[in-house]
Amino acid sequence: MSWIQMLPLTKRVQLGLLAIVVPIALLLPLVADNFIIRLLTLALVSALFAMSVDLMAGYAGLVTLGHAGVLGTAMYGVGYVAAKTDGGIPLQVLVGFVAGMTAAAIFGLMAMRSTGVYFIMITIAQGMIVWGLASLLVDITGAENGLLGIRRPVSVETDFRYYYVVLAVVAVCSALLFVIVRSPFGYALKGLRGSETRVRMLGHNSAFLKFYMFVVSGFFATIAGILLVYLNEFVSPTDAILGASALPVLMTILGGIGTLVGPFIGAFVIVFLRNWVSIKVDRWPTLMGLIFILVVLFAREGLVGAISKWWNRRLERLGSDTGSLTERPEKRDLAEAVTSD
Amino acid sequence: MAQAAVETERVVDSVMRGRLRVLLITLAVGIPLVAWTLTQMSLLSFFTQILNGLSFGALLFFLAAGFTMIFGLLRIANLAHGGFYLMGGYIGVVTTAKTGSLWLGLLAGGFAIAILGLFTERVLLRRIRGLEKPEVLLTIGMTFVIGDASLWLWGGDPRVVDKPSYLKGAIQIGDSFFYPKYRLFVLAFAILLALVLFYIDRRTKVGAIVRAGVDDRETVAALGINIKAVFTAAFMFGAFIAGMSGVIGAGFLVLLPGQDFEILLFALVVVIIGGLGSLEGAALGAIVVGLIDSFAKALVPELSFFTLFAPMALILMVRPNGLLGKAL
Repeated sequence: MSWIQMLPLTKRVQLGLLAIVVPIALLLPLVADNFIIRLLTLALVSALFAMSVDLMAGYAGLVTLGHAGVLGTAMYGVGYVAAKTDGGIPLQVLVGFVAGMTAAAIFGLMAMRSTGVYFIMITIAQGMIVWGLASLLVDITGAENGLLGIRRPVSVETDFRYYYVVLAVVAVCSALLFVIVRSPFGYALKGLRGSETRVRMLGHNSAFLKFYMFVVSGFFATIAGILLVYLNEFVSPTDAILGASALPVLMTILGGIGTLVGPFIGAFVIVFLRNWVSIKVDRWPTLMGLIFILVVLFAREGLVGAISKWWNRRLERLGSDTGSLTERPEKRDLAEAVTSD
Repeated sequence: MAQAAVETERVVDSVMRGRLRVLLITLAVGIPLVAWTLTQMSLLSFFTQILNGLSFGALLFFLAAGFTMIFGLLRIANLAHGGFYLMGGYIGVVTTAKTGSLWLGLLAGGFAIAILGLFTERVLLRRIRGLEKPEVLLTIGMTFVIGDASLWLWGGDPRVVDKPSYLKGAIQIGDSFFYPKYRLFVLAFAILLALVLFYIDRRTKVGAIVRAGVDDRETVAALGINIKAVFTAAFMFGAFIAGMSGVIGAGFLVLLPGQDFEILLFALVVVIIGGLGSLEGAALGAIVVGLIDSFAKALVPELSFFTLFAPMALILMVRPNGLLGKAL
């Protein structure tokens, strides 16, 4: 009996999926054209950004509608050095990183004492103020014209090569996030979602916890911002507008909030859907709003929730002969709850 | 009993102390700021900026009053408020152009958005009642749909409302002080609305029901009041003021696609600074934000968003629930 057979069925399926996805991710650019490669890169960056939002919205239960403020600040950091000075790539990345992290830290200080709806409102204001400053500070940001003259490093100049850079960075970040959500910090965040009072009772300082959450989530948003600015080789106030902050939230709830796979699936669906729709009609905001409304009304568990329900039902039907259900009794309860409806 | 009285006294005391602290901080920051401002501009332009700030604050008060009322009763942060403003404004502008009456335009904008509010509350929000985050996310979805629909229906060109002749031009005060009549009209309208709202809130049965509903929905429902109808009415009323303020705003700010977000930002900053759920908070926040914005635009135009951000950040660090807000 090999080690694979030792694993529970659900884990085996997950490993199987990973074994399918990884080769596809590595090999697809070899057959796809440049346009598709760019879309795939964008989807990967969006997935990273959505995961950083999900760390707050899904795990800690604190929805942010201003995270594009962090992403945008990082983009402007890179863009400013590239467009207005003769700093090289290392300096651009450094300034972008520091800018993004500073924004995340300030946002965190402002919002760390609030919860619920108040938290959402504060984050909206934060994101929109970055957008407002970007539109007004002409000397630094170029206002509506944005910043031009951002170039990728020569060695990864082509879209094809840049895809692999992004893939590698996103893979490493995903692994980090995988560890983070299973760390004591990750469990403390989940505690915030359950009951902030109890988290405090257990001796955590919930305000500091939220501040750390902003910093950790901001780290990944900053990385996403740096990747995005080199993908587009451009940055403008639109990158920090409310829609840009709402998009990762939509990806997260569409894919499945509170999971790391969810934002990934959501990001790929939204990026390709948006592209496909934009070719036909110029009404993307309407569609985005409608998806928001429909998902919120009818599918709050997202695609991952729907799939895992289906999977649990299937497990139930397979019965006890697989022997894997004993591993997770709560799963069976869920499946029973679903089938008994 | 005596213990309860002591307890009440203690709470009242701490509230008063909180307000005193706010007042002291405001004075400590405000007086040097005003002194510095006076060295930067003439007394005349100082008064112009005060009036600009107050009239913009009046518009913000309309928005924040509706927002805070919806929030107080339904516990929903209606992020579609900016969209309501924009669409109401467009409808009012079109109606005014057709009928030649600003008053009809105000009513049309208000009622159209009230009906949109009825739909939002009855058909959409009621399905997810009490789920705080889904409610917010639904309203943000609404914002995108409304904004895009407005762009589709009325195009991307800036729109302004046709003012009646008696509100056109400027009024002369003294020898050399001119001020636009329309902005004074907005200011007067806001003061009137504020008085009416405060009267309804404090002196009538409707106001009593609303205040009771803000404090304890279950008990109000148990007393035989149809709280669901109160919710719907409150949402429609908030939407009505938002739509109407779009028409008012179209008289001195132009209507543009994307302005819904900007207006939403201002409304949020007002209620964050003032504190959610109270009419006084909305009024105070609106005046503060209106004045800050007007002076910032005159003195440091590139930083005018930062000048909103900084006081908001400071206030949130000292008072996380806003100046006059209750703990939620």
